[in-house]
Amino acid sequence: MHPAPSIILFTVLSGFGFGLISIVGLLQFLSQISAGDIVIFSVIGLFFSIIGLISSFFHLANKKNAIKSMSQWQTSWLSREAISSIFCLSIVVGNIGWVFVQNRYINEVGIILFLLSLFTIFTTSMIYAQLKTVPSWNNMLTPALFIFTALAGGSILLLDYASLVLLLIFGVLQVLFWYIADQSFIHKETSVGTALGFSKNEDIRAFDVAHTNRNYLLNEMVYKVARKHAIKIRYISFFAAFVLPMSLILMFPGNFSISILVIGIHFVGIYFSRWLFFAEAKHSVSFYYN
Amino acid sequence: MTKLPKCEDKKLGLLIDLDTCVGCHGCVVSCKEWNSSGDEKQLSDINSHQKDPVGTFLNRVHSYERENSSTNEAETFYFPRSCLHCEDAPCVTVCPTGASYKREEDGIVLVNEDDCMGCGLCAWACPYGARELDLVSGVMKKCTLCVDRIYSEELPPEDRVPVCVKSCPTGARAFGDFNDPNSDVSKKVRERGGVDLMPEMQTKPVNKYLLPRIKSKDAVSSVGSVVEEETDATGLLGWVDRALSKF
Ligand code: SF4
Ligand code: SF4
Repeated sequence: MHPAPSIILFTVLSGFGFGLISIVGLLQFLSQISAGDIVIFSVIGLFFSIIGLISSFFHLANKKNAIKSMSQWQTSWLSREAISSIFCLSIVVGNIGWVFVQNRYINEVGIILFLLSLFTIFTTSMIYAQLKTVPSWNNMLTPALFIFTALAGGSILLLDYASLVLLLIFGVLQVLFWYIADQSFIHKETSVGTALGFSKNEDIRAFDVAHTNRNYLLNEMVYKVARKHAIKIRYISFFAAFVLPMSLILMFPGNFSISILVIGIHFVGIYFSRWLFFAEAKHSVSFYYN
Repeated sequence: MTKLPKCEDKKLGLLIDLDTCVGCHGCVVSCKEWNSSGDEKQLSDINSHQKDPVGTFLNRVHSYERENSSTNEAETFYFPRSCLHCEDAPCVTVCPTGASYKREEDGIVLVNEDDCMGCGLCAWACPYGARELDLVSGVMKKCTLCVDRIYSEELPPEDRVPVCVKSCPTGARAFGDFNDPNSDVSKKVRERGGVDLMPEMQTKPVNKYLLPRIKSKDAVSSVGSVVEEETDATGLLGWVDRALSKF
């Protein structure tokens, strides 16, 4: 799949924003955070979520109908995501206002924010995980990875040792995801044979292309990244998203300025991870271009 | 609504015979023409008369070669690819705006362009690459089964079929109701074993394909013998052969 920067930025930034909001919510519920910190970190979370949503808006080819995307929640994960994120962000704004004015907070609102922001991240991940056409996404590892990426990122600023646990879970899921992605089509039944109505092992190859130039399908869904480059990018991603943050947090526990640096490095790693998430994903339409 | 209807009445679709298709792209051209005429509907092209043209098509014809296991010869065939109007259409259920829908009365899958926001998710959900986002208008395009022809009251009755079916010079494309066991398309599917594309995707396509028949060993070896006979030919053919061999 084509790794479009607008979509990568959307999933990275809004993932981080909602991750931060969910951690703030959890701490608010457990009374482990000051009213001042709720305001500051909720505003940061809000900022990143909104930047992410704006970036996804730029991916739309017909922006004037974007508002209609809230209508099909009964079947569409993208619609659920639109509703859930707007709903969640409105509560965040309300919570910020209340805490700012009253200088105290309602614990129960915290748990609602925690669950709602996790659900929002889940709906984002299901946009990809629901697609049978892309087997490397079409499993529960995709939501697990998205949720723990967001939680790990969100926890870096607010938690010390607990963020190590979340980072660790993220790291394990990330490696598992790459492992499964490498296996995906080996276990599936699709081939150029089944794409054309024959059996899976039919010996068929394209001898001419159907059009003189590239087209929307090729640009959007038949993206090929060289295997040796992909492996290199995996190392960079894993080092920046996981190894460096882990080591820095262990070396400087509770150091806030270090954790800002860690977030920056972590972002770079997650960006590469998401880039690979798209670039390495093989869509079934590519079999017609075998 | 992106909830899928039952479609108990009619299931309109195409039956495509890969044994008959000669890969002339006639259906591609006539589809593009029909769906680009008129004021509102356009299948746009960019750089159409310059270098690197790209354009939107609802139908594309691929070419493949396939190894015949009994003769070890490669056999070529052509493969027209367009929307299969799936019963369990994933492109419809993923659509957030409700622009994509499946008609209850005949099962045709359509896009309401006034609602589409051009997110492209339906194109990702279709296993067959049947949907293309129009880069000029920013809305999703797909085969309509020529819904504006098949129910037209203005066109003469014999023209009330999809334009690809009408224009195919070899009759490789048939249009009909797959829900009616007595329709021509249903009969042919039974007689010649019509197949689904990527059945493992569980989309339950309405359109069916008839696969190219495998050429028998005898048919392939007789090609060689005809050629040999001609080189030994006597009479007029022999004279032509000898005359030409001098050069
Ligand atoms: S072929 Fe593709 S676009 Fe057509 S109904 Fe099936 S999934 Fe949808
Ligand atoms: S591109 Fe249009 S029709 Fe397709 S899913 Fe998005 S809004 Fe629906």
